[in-house]
Amino acid sequence: MFHWLEKNPFLFAVGVFIVIAFAGLIEILPSFTNAARPIKGLKPYTVLQLAGKEVYKKDNCIACHSQLIRPFKSETDRYGKYSLSGEYAYDRPFLWGSKRTGPDLHRVGNYRTPDWHANHMWNPKSVVPASIMPAYKHQFKNIADLETAYAEAVTVKKVFHTPYGNDIQPSKAAFEKYYKTTALPEALKIAKAMKNKDVLAMVQQGKIPEIVALIAYLERLK
Amino acid sequence: MNSFIVKGLALAGVLVIGTLVVIKQMHIDLSDPINMITFLGAIAIAALTFGVGAKYMAQMKSDTASGELAEENWDGIGEYKNELPAGWAYSFLGTMIWAVWYFFWGYPLNAYSEIGEYNQEVKNYNKKFEAIHKNASPEVLKEMGESIFLVQCAPCHGETGDGLSGKAQDFSKRFTKEQVLAVIKNGQHKLNFPLGAMPAGMAQGKDAQAVAKYVANGLKGTAPTAWTTCAGCHGTDGKGNGGTAPSLAGYNLPLVKHVLANGKTGIIGHMPAFPGRFTPVQEKALAAYLGTLKQ
Repeated sequence: MFHWLEKNPFLFAVGVFIVIAFAGLIEILPSFTNAARPIKGLKPYTVLQLAGKEVYKKDNCIACHSQLIRPFKSETDRYGKYSLSGEYAYDRPFLWGSKRTGPDLHRVGNYRTPDWHANHMWNPKSVVPASIMPAYKHQFKNIADLETAYAEAVTVKKVFHTPYGNDIQPSKAAFEKYYKTTALPEALKIAKAMKNKDVLAMVQQGKIPEIVALIAYLERLK
Repeated sequence: MNSFIVKGLALAGVLVIGTLVVIKQMHIDLSDPINMITFLGAIAIAALTFGVGAKYMAQMKSDTASGELAEENWDGIGEYKNELPAGWAYSFLGTMIWAVWYFFWGYPLNAYSEIGEYNQEVKNYNKKFEAIHKNASPEVLKEMGESIFLVQCAPCHGETGDGLSGKAQDFSKRFTKEQVLAVIKNGQHKLNFPLGAMPAGMAQGKDAQAVAKYVANGLKGTAPTAWTTCAGCHGTDGKGNGGTAPSLAGYNLPLVKHVLANGKTGIIGHMPAFPGRFTPVQEKALAAYLGTLKQ
């Protein structure tokens, strides 16, 4: 019956490969898709948080900080519960990092405050005397790029069906409306908690400095 | 006796003697059980290798084919009917039984998991930790509290617990006057003590000022008349009525527990909650350490 197959060794080899690869796929893929699903209650990043994530990437926080708590007692004692893959479902890309010159930041939103971050980014030694982290004072002046972050939200909503609401639409007018009604109040809340008068004044004038976006992002890491 | 066996055993003997020479040369102590086992193993390997090898070599030389031929015949090549070796057959049956066990119980339902190992590790560690430090001495608690403080609390409260010039609570005292006035004015309802929320405006004007001065001063001197209102819940000594209300006199265990569980929001700012981060012994240690910070 399969005599013709035995006479074609190349075809046979291809057939064997397909059979084995198929077995591998049905064993491996379901667990991958399961693990990649967002965990219950996970919300996509707000536009302000996305802008903060860009600041995080731009200023290369990933070079010294990881965002992945491994299930070892020594790590969970210091940083909190170990990370689950579903927690990164809306991270495009995820920022796990591979180097810990500074501490892990995956749950930093649980145990720091906007006020602390503001002091720390302005001068790390003012709160942690032994810190070797440089100061990031430019973040208090530079304006965060909310427009690009908004475009990112529009894109992932369209391409990956990230569950954003109807306020994320591909038009300039929609962005301006979102900026006024959603992003600015969110930024104002953070600026108020930061206790920095200059930053608060800037946000009240309708400008969002990078530090506010970054803190919004760090506060989201829980 | 076959000459092959003799030669094989002779070679084995030479190897054993060689081993003995090495033992003698290197001063290896054979009273050590590990060395002795290794030595016996070397002898066994030498004897088996050459003994068994020689036996089959001899057999190949002298043996002739015999036995009953099977019916199959391939172009004149026949096959004897050989019994399945017993050891081989039993091993085969064994693997079949093992496979059933492995498929139904061993692998899919009882698989190794990293999280499972982690849970087990934490469970065992905490059990051991709680057992060792069940009746920890004050010195041990203080030391433990200090190391926890330096990792978890110092980033906000400072390495000496001074609150980094007003950025967080200053542990060298329980209250400043402004803090007491703010609590009297706004009340406090987030710490979830058994006696419940403290309503806003429990004292007014001069009374509030007098109480604030008295509390900020560490409850020293004579208590103002308005203190009776506070003492109703916080106790006459201000120590919190045995854990039913926050202590105003210092940082005791109930206060540390409630702040860690609920966080704290006051005029300085907001402290996040740390629920489930510390074991009961660690909370005790933190309270003990904060107690030593008080001036």
